Amino acid sequence: MNSLLAFENVESGYGNARILHGVSFVIAPGESVAILGRNGVGKSTAVNTMLGIARLFAGDVYIQGRRTTSLRHYTAARAGIAVVVQGRGILPNLTVRENLILGGAANRRGHWTLERVFELYPVLAERANSAGTALSGGQQQMLAIGRALMANPDLLVLDEPSEGLAPVIIDEMAEVLRRLSADGTAILLIEQNLTLVERVADIFHVLSKGRVVEHGRTEHTSAADLQKHIAI
Amino acid sequence: MAIQVLNGLVYGALLFALASGLALMFGLRRIVNFAHGALYMLGAYVGYTASLQFGFWAGLAVAGLVLAALGVVLDKAVFRPLQHRDPLTTLLVTFGLALIAEDLVLSVWGNDTMSFAEPQQLAHTLSLFETTFPIYRLAIVGFGAAVAIGLVLWLRFSRVGLFVRAASHDPVIAAVQGVDTDRVSALVVAVSAALAGMSGVVAAPLMSLAPSMGADILVDSFIVVVVGGLGSLGGAFITAMLLGQINVLGVVFMPELTSLLPFLLMIGILLWKPTGLAGARL
Ligand SMILES: Nc1ncnc2c1ncn2[C@@H]1O[C@H](COP(=O)(O)OP(=O)(O)OP(=O)(O)O)[C@@H](O)[C@H]1O
Ligand SMILES: [Mg+2]
Repeated sequence: MNSLLAFENVESGYGNARILHGVSFVIAPGESVAILGRNGVGKSTAVNTMLGIARLFAGDVYIQGRRTTSLRHYTAARAGIAVVVQGRGILPNLTVRENLILGGAANRRGHWTLERVFELYPVLAERANSAGTALSGGQQQMLAIGRALMANPDLLVLDEPSEGLAPVIIDEMAEVLRRLSADGTAILLIEQNLTLVERVADIFHVLSKGRVVEHGRTEHTSAADLQKHIAI
Repeated sequence: MAIQVLNGLVYGALLFALASGLALMFGLRRIVNFAHGALYMLGAYVGYTASLQFGFWAGLAVAGLVLAALGVVLDKAVFRPLQHRDPLTTLLVTFGLALIAEDLVLSVWGNDTMSFAEPQQLAHTLSLFETTFPIYRLAIVGFGAAVAIGLVLWLRFSRVGLFVRAASHDPVIAAVQGVDTDRVSALVVAVSAALAGMSGVVAAPLMSLAPSMGADILVDSFIVVVVGGLGSLGGAFITAMLLGQINVLGVVFMPELTSLLPFLLMIGILLWKPTGLAGARL
């Protein structure tokens, strides 16, 4: 197995409550994959399982091809899987620059440095010494993506990155994600926003009530079909 | 009067060195460490024993190192397992540890009063404000200032310091970025314990060693942490200085109220600002 991330029959949840009931998917190097699903179906729980935040009851999580039994919060980042968490997780007590440096905590060398992130998002350079949360929503999302890139990830996971953002800003984000993908970074996009999914992901999985109920390639699936799985 | 203000600074400096560790530990582990006074007391005894052989400065260094090691053990064995338990459990456990430490010191060092001499280089007095003031006491103010400046530089400008601030605000987000927050905590507890131990050594020449010396200063340190705003260094600094002044000036102007004044200050400030002076952390 040389996948970056794989779930095999993962059952996980919080406390004694199972949220995921046997979820499987594989992300190979360079792939861009979307996980779609309505509110509360367990999309973030899948991310949280990988991050050791949700509890793994049964099944296996493979990181970089290796079955990982003790999932610590930092395991993924150190193995080259960077996560932009839902809500972005920008720290208000750190400046923009400090938030970015924090993203390099896993000490993985590669293309991405502070300078390169500032080139990608010049506005972050302008606001480098402002508090992370003093930025606008769109700029905070840039900061969250920039921070994840600082880990030089093989796989970039984004949990509903378009949430609360204006369409123009989502367009810009789609453009950045496509470029990253073209440069070889694998992407796992968790979304309810179809424009972003259609522009970024090649493969999709639909999650419903803790199970993957459908999957396919976005190019072979009409927007209306995808929409069915998301609209309430 | 000016001399009293200086004495207030001396006590404030000691309080800050102790309270800063408490604040850092609370920031990172959300733990209120009732054994912090015991660490201060242990530091004084360990430093005393080492100083008999090798002199004051070696005693100070040994106390810092021994207490730092003890801090790592304490974090791994006690604080980490306790971090998600209710505050009452932590209170009881750390309080129990403080009692054990006092007992241990009693059985190792006995109950005789021991006096710890200040280093010869500083055993002089200075003519100040038409009277004399011991240089050693000024050195304690310097110690407090060095701790404050050192901590600020460490937290603001080092990579680890950045991780400490991140983990204090949101340990999960920090860890998701790749920070091993358990190691960061162990480091912070080690630094806090070392500061407590060194404060014990620094304070020892002003009084005689006693197993209860930790309990006395602990109450004031807690007031500093709570009034300063839990987990805030800046708040702790201001409050420590304030409390130092209240302590000595109270003796002069309202001797019958001195022991109550710190509590009155705490109640007053918490009524005015329930989150403490600083409000936000770090
Ligand atoms: N920390 C938690 N503790 C307990 N239950 C939780 C926790 N987080 C989420 N849940 C529950 O797990 C279920 C799935 O939540 P999850 O966050 O995975 O959904 P989601 O698909 O990401 O939804 P959304 O699109 O709203 O982000 C929900 O019923 C939620 O209430
Ligand atoms: Mg979610």
